Amino acid sequence: MNDLTFLLVALKNLQRKPFRTGVLILAIGLLVSLLIFATSFTISVNSSLKKASDRLGADLIVVPVGARGFAEEFLLESKETSFYMARTLIEKIRRVEGVTAVTHQTYLSSISGLCCDIIPTRIAAFNQQSDFIIKPWLQKSIGRPLAKGEAIAGAGTAENLGLGLLNVEATLFNNRFKIVGVLERTGTGLDNVLFMTEENLEAIIKSGQSPLKREEISIIFVKLEKGRDPDYVGRVIEGNIVEVDVVARSQMGEKFIAILADINKIFMVAILLSSLLTILLVWAIFSAIANERAREIGIMRAIGAKQSHIVKLFFLEVLVLTLIGSLLGGVAGTWLATRLASSFTLIQNLSASLGTAAHLVIAAVNLILGSAICLAGALLPINRIKKMEPLLAIKEE
Amino acid sequence: MARIEVIGLSKTYLVGDTLIPAVDNVSLTIEQGDFMSIVGHSGSGKTTLVSMVGGILRPSSGQILYYDEDLCRLDDDHLSEYRNAKIGFMFQFASLLPILTTRENVQLPGLFGPGKTRLPKSRVEEYLEMVGLKDKMDAYPAQLSGGQQRRVAIARALITAPEIILADEPTGDLDEETEAEIMALFQRINQEKKVTIILITHNLALAAKTRIRLRMTKGELTTL
Repeated sequence: MNDLTFLLVALKNLQRKPFRTGVLILAIGLLVSLLIFATSFTISVNSSLKKASDRLGADLIVVPVGARGFAEEFLLESKETSFYMARTLIEKIRRVEGVTAVTHQTYLSSISGLCCDIIPTRIAAFNQQSDFIIKPWLQKSIGRPLAKGEAIAGAGTAENLGLGLLNVEATLFNNRFKIVGVLERTGTGLDNVLFMTEENLEAIIKSGQSPLKREEISIIFVKLEKGRDPDYVGRVIEGNIVEVDVVARSQMGEKFIAILADINKIFMVAILLSSLLTILLVWAIFSAIANERAREIGIMRAIGAKQSHIVKLFFLEVLVLTLIGSLLGGVAGTWLATRLASSFTLIQNLSASLGTAAHLVIAAVNLILGSAICLAGALLPINRIKKMEPLLAIKEE
Repeated sequence: MARIEVIGLSKTYLVGDTLIPAVDNVSLTIEQGDFMSIVGHSGSGKTTLVSMVGGILRPSSGQILYYDEDLCRLDDDHLSEYRNAKIGFMFQFASLLPILTTRENVQLPGLFGPGKTRLPKSRVEEYLEMVGLKDKMDAYPAQLSGGQQRRVAIARALITAPEIILADEPTGDLDEETEAEIMALFQRINQEKKVTIILITHNLALAAKTRIRLRMTKGELTTL
């Protein structure tokens, strides 16, 4: 014989009106899925921005004056942009107090036509002697420096070009390049770039197919002495060299952060309204339940149930509802976050993705939040019914 | 020493702006093994009086002494424990929980008992056998007749071995044959188990079967 337990009574109570129970589960599920989707979206974008700026490995990024936005678009969003400044600026920046290392890159966009035999792709030429951006990834990928006439593809570029096989050859600006490897995914816009050393630029310029001129570069990455304030050094550089703009690592993605803040506000309003609606729905349904069961509650009180027993019975019902609703909502929300998020340009371009552990933590936190919201809705009716004198509860029906 | 002593008990209800006295300065002594009936018209205060004795309604004034302990001074938890351990209720309506089977309904008082003690299967079966419903253990209240439901309620009232059964018109909507069966059951319980029974009824013939007969009129209690 099964023992009669509070949980059994709660489950039997939920079974007596399946439609009402279903509506409550659905409402809680929808709320939790919204919570999870919004949290995943926000965390994902935030985390991608931080990862991207950290992985660049530079304290400051120096770009031609007015090209700050283009640089962020190139480095974070994988957008095709070209911006150039004089190579002579490298030495000026190297001489600024607090600067310990400087490297530069030059960006090009390949074009469809006679000069190139691959789809339009972004190209980054880097200086192999001074480089500290690509070197760590290059070591992992091919374990040696790149030679002249060789290129290595970022993870996204390899996918776009369909480079499943190594050692394929491509023509870029009438020059043949051997693609010798694929870099591991970095989570930055550089994933969608084809890298080569700047020794190849002379031949590309000679082809006459590129807007790039001799002695021009796109960007300078700067490392600072430990303890130096990047914002301060950045202001010094901008003050001394009028031809450049400086972006500190902490300022990377400010445009996105501002957009994200707005999106967060929209999510917050949606979550707040949904939470209020859920609380109201749970309150209304549990008020009805409390009224319907007033006599039963009075009978239970008459045969010895304490107020705490009545609260326990109702809370178990709420917990079962929220658990089922939250689990369903958790699955739906996580699915939305992982699948539908790829439809959002902001996340797509930022190469954002959360790990399984992050998804689980987000789901668990929101499950607790969903349960708390549901309990808040049920609290008033439960409190009212538990306080009624047993005889009055029996007579209320 | 009397088991329960009611001293100067009153209860007034506030209806609109008017205070309505339901029980007016009632004193009563209930001894162990009493078989008592209280008759009276609807609204005479019978249910209110018995509900206060059973601890499901707080009086406006007066005392209810269970031995020397004043029930009116107990907090809600202790009053619930008193109801669970000492009192068995039978109401004038079907009082079984519709979602529970016969067996579970009889087990229900054990759920609220001290130390989470569960009532053993053998005991539930024993009480269902006593009321002649052992074969209906897995039936739901909707599958039982009115008389069968009352008998399940009797088994539920007795399962915790209470000292007092408070039966508020338990046969009000039953036919004469079932009414007689239930009265016979009460008499047997009273004689065999020495359980005190207080029966509220408006049926004088039924009251005649009890040893102590009282009448309630406009909140006042007199001997019949």
